Amino acid sequence: MNKRLLDYLLALLIILTLNFMLPRLMPGEPITAIYGDALVEMTPEMKSHLLERYGLDRPLGEQFAVYMGNLFQGDLGYSYYFRAPVAQVISGALPWTLLLAGTSLLFSTFLGIVWGVEAGWRRGRKFDRASLVTAMLLNGVPGFVLGILLLLFLGFYLQWFPLSGGASPYLGQEGIARAADILRHLFLPALTLTLVQLPRNFLLMRSSLLGVKERPYVMTARGKGLRERVVRYRHAVRGALPPVVTRVGMSAGLLFTGVFFVEVVFAYPGLGHLFYLALQHHDYPTVHGCLLLITVCVLLFNFAADLFSIKLDPRLRENARQLLGRT
Amino acid sequence: MHVNYWDELKGDRMGRAGLYMTGALAVVALGASWLAPHDPWAYVAPPLSPPSWSHPLGTNEVGQDILSELIYGTRTTLLVAVSSALFSSLLSLLLGLAAGLFRGKVERVVLRLVDVMLVVPVLLVALLTAAYLRPGIPGLVVLFSLLFWPPGARIVWSQVLSLKQQGHLTAARHFGAGTWYLVRRHLVPELYPLLAVNFIQVVRRAVFMEAGLAFLGIFDPSIKTWGLMLHYARDFVFTGAWKWWLLPPAAAVSFTIISFALLGYALESALDPRLRRHVHAGN
Repeated sequence: MNKRLLDYLLALLIILTLNFMLPRLMPGEPITAIYGDALVEMTPEMKSHLLERYGLDRPLGEQFAVYMGNLFQGDLGYSYYFRAPVAQVISGALPWTLLLAGTSLLFSTFLGIVWGVEAGWRRGRKFDRASLVTAMLLNGVPGFVLGILLLLFLGFYLQWFPLSGGASPYLGQEGIARAADILRHLFLPALTLTLVQLPRNFLLMRSSLLGVKERPYVMTARGKGLRERVVRYRHAVRGALPPVVTRVGMSAGLLFTGVFFVEVVFAYPGLGHLFYLALQHHDYPTVHGCLLLITVCVLLFNFAADLFSIKLDPRLRENARQLLGRT
Repeated sequence: MHVNYWDELKGDRMGRAGLYMTGALAVVALGASWLAPHDPWAYVAPPLSPPSWSHPLGTNEVGQDILSELIYGTRTTLLVAVSSALFSSLLSLLLGLAAGLFRGKVERVVLRLVDVMLVVPVLLVALLTAAYLRPGIPGLVVLFSLLFWPPGARIVWSQVLSLKQQGHLTAARHFGAGTWYLVRRHLVPELYPLLAVNFIQVVRRAVFMEAGLAFLGIFDPSIKTWGLMLHYARDFVFTGAWKWWLLPPAAAVSFTIISFALLGYALESALDPRLRRHVHAGN
């Protein structure tokens, strides 16, 4: 497991280095690349304060040390567009992203499992074939395209749902009314993301089920005269689930990628939307902060899935041991 | 192991559909300058004109012909996706071969790199890099090639390891064949089918990512792409122009991804005997 941990730390280091190096690779001084347009309105004192605080006029090695040191203290820089420390701006957006990602993860996993089981059980028949084609077509539609279409039809034409944002501003709602308002805003983005992830989960579950369907233990369960539904969901699914859970967990990168685009489409106030706003206004400290936080989320999520899968399946534990022994 | 992949592809309904669809895209991309009714960069009509005979999809916010933009977008998309897939497959092949043949230190370094790259969220790295460098087509191809090689390299590596154990390779070795000869005559030809599947998958990912980056506006604005069309059309969603401005590029992106997915799926089933249809006929 230490080897895996090292992979994750190295991945994080790559991203951090990239985050650090890119603005410094740009022509001109790093402070221009990092603060861009905001420099124009800065006083010389502010500029020299920034230079000193982030060590921007020192050699590259020292700059990197200062950069890492600041990161560990939670100092991500100052956003001149939002007029607040980046850490503060970002922490306001994170809960929205987690809400959206969590909801869609939950629904897409659950629906994907049920759909996959029902289709796999009827392998080769009409329902299965129709499901496969549907999944394939759905898989071909990028999240932002699907989002725009849903926004147009359900939001704009039918006016069933709000067009943008995470909650209605200025209403001063409390308790249940506010929760209902948030849910209404959550619906379309969450639906989009669920539909984006659904085909993948469906295909995973279906193929995993096909692998266990003919196993003796499933036949035994049938032979005992258990009802079909019990055989399917109590016996077959239990055997087919572990690899699916692992793969779903490992696809955190895809999940957060999806969140990113969907937030932009619906102007949902999470990290993706924040990133987009910051990018449009050349607010690079915020751009970096968003990407960094999402990266950390993805890596943590993947790592957790990795650990979980080894706990879940003793055979993997054996594999991991062999792999460790080999390298 | 020796299957006629071309026949398998043509015999499969999905494979046939994929071939026709990608073929159509290729024709549009290659013949863009003949097919497009106008120069997509020229200001040919008043901005935001609705569809008419001379402009079947109307014009955009600066008066460029949308249909011509759409046709030239095909060229950009395929150019970026196919070249990225080509270069990244080449990288996969070289690194995978090196790891499988030389073992030892080379293998350790390559595999570790693959493992690390696989947990790095690819899109985020692309976003970050592109946000600064605003790459044109060549930059994007380099970026995608560097990001997409790891899965392929791992597949090549594991295939090389298992091929090395096989009888005909041992026989060739004992007849005095050198490493380079083995690679050229025995390993690479056997890797082609796997590389083909990998190639198609990279194409699909590259189409998606190129459209996504352009949709966010992180792209050289002078290049015609579907993603940028979506990016600009989005501001006019509520005017009714979406019917001829937003839907066509959206459909084009989906069409492209689906056509390559069909092709990839058919290739994969041709490769994997367990997935081949006629084997399952009695099932």
